[in-house]
Amino acid sequence: MSTYRVRGKGRVDASKPIVFTFDGKPYTGLKGDTVASALLSHGVHLMGRSFKYHRPRGAIAAGSEEPNALIGTRRSAGRFEPNTRATVQEIWEGLETNSQNKFPSLKWDVGAVNDAAYMMFSAGFYYKTFMWPRSFWDKVYEPFIRAAAGLGVSPTEHDPDTYASRNLYCDLLIVGAGPAGIAAAREAAGKGLSVVLVDENAEMGGSILSEPQAKIEGKTSWDWLSDELADLKAAGVKLMTRTTAIGYYHENLIALVEKLTDHLPTLPADTPRERMWRVRAKQVVLAQGALEKPLVFHGNDRPGVMLAGSAQTYLHRYGVKVGNSPVVVTSHDSAWYAAFDLQDAGAYVQAIVDTRAQVRQDLQAEARSRGIPVKLSHTVTATGGRLRVNNVRVNPLSGTNVGAGQWIKCDALLMSGGWTPSLHLFSHTKGSLAWDDDLTTFLPKDTPEDCVITGASRGLWGTEAALRDGATRVGEALAKLGVEATATEYTVADDRTGSGVMMRELPTDRSPGKAKAFVDYQNDVTAKDLRLAVREGMRSIEHVKRYTTNGMATDQGKMSNINGLNIAADALGKKQPQVGLTTFRPPYTPTTFGAFAGYHRGEHFEVVRKTQIDAWAETQGAVFEPVGQWRRARYFPKAGETMDQAVTRECAATRASVGIFDASTLGKIEVVGPDAAEFVNRMYTNPFLKLAPGKCRYGLLLGDDGFIRDDGVIARVDENRFHVTTTTGGAARVLNMMEDYLQTEWPDLNVWLTSTTEQWSTVALNGPNAAKLLAPFVEGIELTEEAFPHMSCVNCTVAGYPARLWRVSFTGEVGFEINVAAPYGRDLWEKLWEAGQQYDITPYGTETMHVLRAEKGYIIVGQDTDGTVTPADAGMDWAVGKKKDDFVGMRGLKRPDLVAENRKQLVGLLTEDNSWLEEGAQIVFDPKQPVPMTMRGHVTSSYNQGTTGRPIALAVIEGGHSKMGETVYIPMPDRTIAAKITGTVFYDPENSRLKI
Amino acid sequence: MSKHISSLAPSVVVDTAAARVAVSQMIGRISLRARGDLAAVGQAIGVELPTQIGARAKADGIEVACLGPDEWTVLVSLGQIEKVEDALAALYPSLPHSMTEVTGREVTFTIEGPQAVELLSIGAPRDLSTIKVGQARRMFFDGATVVLWRDAETSFRMDVWNSFASFLATTLETGAKELAAELA
Repeated sequence: MSTYRVRGKGRVDASKPIVFTFDGKPYTGLKGDTVASALLSHGVHLMGRSFKYHRPRGAIAAGSEEPNALIGTRRSAGRFEPNTRATVQEIWEGLETNSQNKFPSLKWDVGAVNDAAYMMFSAGFYYKTFMWPRSFWDKVYEPFIRAAAGLGVSPTEHDPDTYASRNLYCDLLIVGAGPAGIAAAREAAGKGLSVVLVDENAEMGGSILSEPQAKIEGKTSWDWLSDELADLKAAGVKLMTRTTAIGYYHENLIALVEKLTDHLPTLPADTPRERMWRVRAKQVVLAQGALEKPLVFHGNDRPGVMLAGSAQTYLHRYGVKVGNSPVVVTSHDSAWYAAFDLQDAGAYVQAIVDTRAQVRQDLQAEARSRGIPVKLSHTVTATGGRLRVNNVRVNPLSGTNVGAGQWIKCDALLMSGGWTPSLHLFSHTKGSLAWDDDLTTFLPKDTPEDCVITGASRGLWGTEAALRDGATRVGEALAKLGVEATATEYTVADDRTGSGVMMRELPTDRSPGKAKAFVDYQNDVTAKDLRLAVREGMRSIEHVKRYTTNGMATDQGKMSNINGLNIAADALGKKQPQVGLTTFRPPYTPTTFGAFAGYHRGEHFEVVRKTQIDAWAETQGAVFEPVGQWRRARYFPKAGETMDQAVTRECAATRASVGIFDASTLGKIEVVGPDAAEFVNRMYTNPFLKLAPGKCRYGLLLGDDGFIRDDGVIARVDENRFHVTTTTGGAARVLNMMEDYLQTEWPDLNVWLTSTTEQWSTVALNGPNAAKLLAPFVEGIELTEEAFPHMSCVNCTVAGYPARLWRVSFTGEVGFEINVAAPYGRDLWEKLWEAGQQYDITPYGTETMHVLRAEKGYIIVGQDTDGTVTPADAGMDWAVGKKKDDFVGMRGLKRPDLVAENRKQLVGLLTEDNSWLEEGAQIVFDPKQPVPMTMRGHVTSSYNQGTTGRPIALAVIEGGHSKMGETVYIPMPDRTIAAKITGTVFYDPENSRLKI
Repeated sequence: MSKHISSLAPSVVVDTAAARVAVSQMIGRISLRARGDLAAVGQAIGVELPTQIGARAKADGIEVACLGPDEWTVLVSLGQIEKVEDALAALYPSLPHSMTEVTGREVTFTIEGPQAVELLSIGAPRDLSTIKVGQARRMFFDGATVVLWRDAETSFRMDVWNSFASFLATTLETGAKELAAELA
């Protein structure tokens, strides 16, 4: 057994030794140990280097509030995590851990020169140092800051772990399973309520785990605890350990992160590493306890200096003495018990140093009986020791006078500046706080949420007080749940209660300006930094915080906020509440990205919608692209083909014979009712009232503002039924917009909208042989120019399936869109594919579709329009019904700006040297003008894979419609390209190819 | 290779000690929108229309769920669709309404097993205990809109638009395995 392990103490399993490594060296701990407790059992206090000064640091606490002992943990490839708190990470056989922020080694680190140069790194040093000269920022300062900043090293490998999430509804959620939380759960249990009790630790019990001396209801505290937890479980209370409530959001939504595997030596199958629970609780009890405050003095960060309460935890929970000859320095009674317990466990406490002149007689008597020297009215002014504290300088206090110092040898220095109620989650609720002068801390006041706060987190001290308060306070929550509360009266013997006084920096006889008295350990902020910030004009704690970075590290100021406030308030000569407390924000403790992502990573990152024909495209080796949530086949490369080659081939083949295209993703809305025509007519710019059943018409949809929002072909299926199509990405938006108008503007219209996007698989055939290929499959209509002209639609049978057959074209060729019930789409497609072999049928993707439509000057909403393009701008005045009384956007189109001259207008561009233009490239009129040039427009679409034998482009250009034939210029990084403005139709302007 | 799910090919997505998820056989579906004399509509299709959102009714193999103040989904066997459509068409002149066949739109997963509710809770942000046995709700599940039918305490049907089916099947498969691992 290691030297610092105390036989018979702690809740660790002495029969189960576990070997892990720290910086490559194997250490043996016991089952139940954290990395910190196991290292401390070997007398190892040095666990890391600090962030800014690279000062040697050890664990200062024993829980999740630990600011110093941040380590990297590693299990296997990809399973590396930086900044894990050694005080939380449980050990398991084979765990690899490493210290951070050190080079070349933890014990000898070159970055520690920052420590010697500390005068340079004072508050606001980033703002002061790196402001000038401006030109240094990109090349010198920023790279330097980026290299020096950050805690630990980011993982570089892919994380093979999985993460999960779940939603949970309950009547009562209790956060914190210490005495107050358990007592609250007890009152609520067995009353027909769903009750959830969570605790971030591996074991429930909170402070009870560190107070085995207490007797609760006549039982030892630990017996009481295990009985109570067993009872709660039996009563149906959901008990969750290793589960941190990280945030409290609106309407009693609490996020919990449950760690499932980080403590296990082998990973079970199908088990996520962490699970995010989104809990919607009717009532919440916050029983998060209190966090001990460090004292602020020169050298208070040396390894071996730690919180007295944490030393008690190490002793009672883990059976580890943090030192053999500790000194205790305190301004609160609680640390006296740490001294007594350590002395009783075999340590020789060198002194109890208390800043107070008066301390309870019983405590002094206990110290005397153990032979512990007591120094009241004393301060600590320095510590010594390179990588571990080995002595402490203690000075007598008399009023404001600090007497001569005396060095006391020690191997640990245990401090307590009192306790700060943990108000993090309460603060997330936007709860208001009230300053308590007696306790010199903020206490919870009102909250808009349905929650009560109890126990040490509202400033109570002692197990009995916490138990009674938990049992009482939960009554408010239970009453709101309609359950009568009883409020059990608990009796606790050997309870430890106490009080203390607030200290700012401890008084010193040395220069406070040179003191390295740390307030924020993680960000290396000292008391003098805070005072400097005030001297330099910071008045609000929010400014002091940002100027010094106090409380801005990953520990969220759990230790530093109150000390920081006390010092800043003192420097400003104001009371604390007038200086204010910074807001706590979620998450309560550092949380992995994995926990936030949950299942949504890798292939499951975002919803992917697939058509019924998608699987066919996949087997054909299609390359896909995302369009909204859809994945669509972009092109179908043959072996060895580039995208350009494939698209060129697909374009040519479609114009030469026939191409087949999956148009199933087009949005489809069924508009049904006596007022269907009236509704469609009001929504779209084009006239629809007189569209005959069996006919299709292109429709342009504007916003109120008159700008193009969407477009699509609309078929009148019968008198009272329209089949509207929208763009793929616009489907949901258009349906919402239509519902909005229908429900709020025109509730008088007798018409209903139903999304039918997914009712239909839509197969498009385009090309001169399209009709020939399709005709043999069609029953009910002859595919001739006379019987079924362009822009017709009919309900018929195709390949034996009921179908809505449309004759439409988005390519300029003869075109059909065959809509069949979605599940039959694949079969229809394969039948056409097979029969199409005689015509060299070619499947094409979205890229070819884009090229072919651009050759015809058909716009793509969102590519050739950007939300500021009117129908006139797009050269589509023809689509606006001149005789219509009204349509959405009609008034918008009359706004002066929309009818102004010189708007950007959609035109074609042909480059003089036949080069291809980049989409998005800016256009100027005079290439010789000085930089910055006046930009007159930009390229919206550009292709070189089409069938016109040269690259074509569409662009929006100021006054473009009146500039036909003029030359404009497109400056590129390497050269300037000249291009001629043309019309937008590059192919078959007579539309002769649309005829069968 | 991605999952391909079609109501033409019923299949088991996942089957664990926690839950079993399967793709159901294709069934006829009609989205019905109406207001006014609902009794007449009920008479036409042969099932009285429930008017409480989430309520269901069933008669002669035709099942109806009320999804909105003027919206119902009607499930019928494929063979019965035409009959129902004809009956509604005959009613149209006296009571205009919207009848849209959406048979092809959706795929139905059956989700059952001791942990069926927990499985749904991985993707459903709403309180599933508020959906009683014999009710149905349109709701959100892992990024998609679905209609959930609760047939028994731990037996559900989930209608999803077919394009979402493979994505949601992955969610359900992952969850069913995770829950089974928890039981083990």
